[in-house]
Amino acid sequence: MNTLDVIIQVVTALIVTMGFGFLFNIRGSKLMVASVGGALCWGLFLLLGIWIQSEALRYFLVSLCSTVYAEMFARVLKTPATTFSIITLIPLVPGGALYYTTTFALSGTIEPFITKMIYTMELAVALSLGIVIVTAVFRSLPRRTQQ
Amino acid sequence: MENPETYKVLSCILEILKMMIESGAEIYRVEESAIRMFKARGAKKVDVYATTSNIIVSIETSDGVIKTHTRRIGSITTDIERIHKLNALARDISSGQLTLYQIKQRIHTIQVAPTYSRFVTILFYGVIAGAFYLFFNGRNWVEFLCSFGIGLVTGVLSKAADHIRINKFWIKFICSFIACMIAFSLRRFGVIESIDYIIIANIMTLIPGIGLTNSLRDLFVGDSISGILRLIEAMMLALAIACGYIITSFVFGGVM
Repeated sequence: MNTLDVIIQVVTALIVTMGFGFLFNIRGSKLMVASVGGALCWGLFLLLGIWIQSEALRYFLVSLCSTVYAEMFARVLKTPATTFSIITLIPLVPGGALYYTTTFALSGTIEPFITKMIYTMELAVALSLGIVIVTAVFRSLPRRTQQ
Repeated sequence: MENPETYKVLSCILEILKMMIESGAEIYRVEESAIRMFKARGAKKVDVYATTSNIIVSIETSDGVIKTHTRRIGSITTDIERIHKLNALARDISSGQLTLYQIKQRIHTIQVAPTYSRFVTILFYGVIAGAFYLFFNGRNWVEFLCSFGIGLVTGVLSKAADHIRINKFWIKFICSFIACMIAFSLRRFGVIESIDYIIIANIMTLIPGIGLTNSLRDLFVGDSISGILRLIEAMMLALAIACGYIITSFVFGGVM
């Protein structure tokens, strides 16, 4: 993968995340934090690719980091972590894998279909596992006094 | 906290909870804020049961009055700004600063708060589809424009669906079907050569990523019913999107 591709991907990840920010009615500085988060997530995913082969493992690690990012900014900007935690992972949603799964199912090639389907599920589980673990940790931390 | 007052507070707070769920908040957040708010308004015991389809709240005040109330949840969308404001309101009520009148006013402000205009939303459907085309390493400018255009069409359809009473599975199916039809036709007429990236890019704008993630989160924190409801819904939506693609490829005579 050459440098230009990397730059294009990171920039488009930023645009895509911002686009979803508009669809989900995120406003002001929260929109900025979310978009930058999306670009950072994809950048991290590509960076980890240098050392780690397994995409599922990378998805899991990125999802861990993204949720920590979300929880931290949620505290800073006094907003629920949901604002950032899901949207920053939008570039990682396995839409491509889902598409190829369907294509293989249609063309009746069973073996690639099953391989691709399991792969798609692996990615989805890796993503949500990361979110769930970090959320659980942050929820068990003692709350700052609410008032 | 005498009788009629108790009832009004209950109704008001329930409205807040309903709006929270309808804007896509997690169930545990809703239940926790409910307990905090009612405790701050002088309830001795609070029992809340919320799912993605209804909320039941039962409170017992210190003078022994027991009130139970329930609300049905309508369709759930994602409106982050609204969750943010409702959360702030819930926090203010919990700290006990607001009068009933102030609470009502705040609820009203949140209800009439503007969202992004229809034009902006539709434009961003196009932008997302275009950006995803490049993101998946598509490098053809004609195809990029097609992807952007199809994104706009999907945006118009999704927005138009807000004004018609139509089931959301049908909306996704129709969007996906029409997006794929346009892409396949363009290839048939020789405008573009490959449609893979265009279709993937447009599927990405439709895919219920948030629903799926929220469902898993609900499941893992122990709100099994809501988690399962959301999970089934997300899977049905994904199926509807896939059906749109499948039917189009049958219309265009077999696959590939």
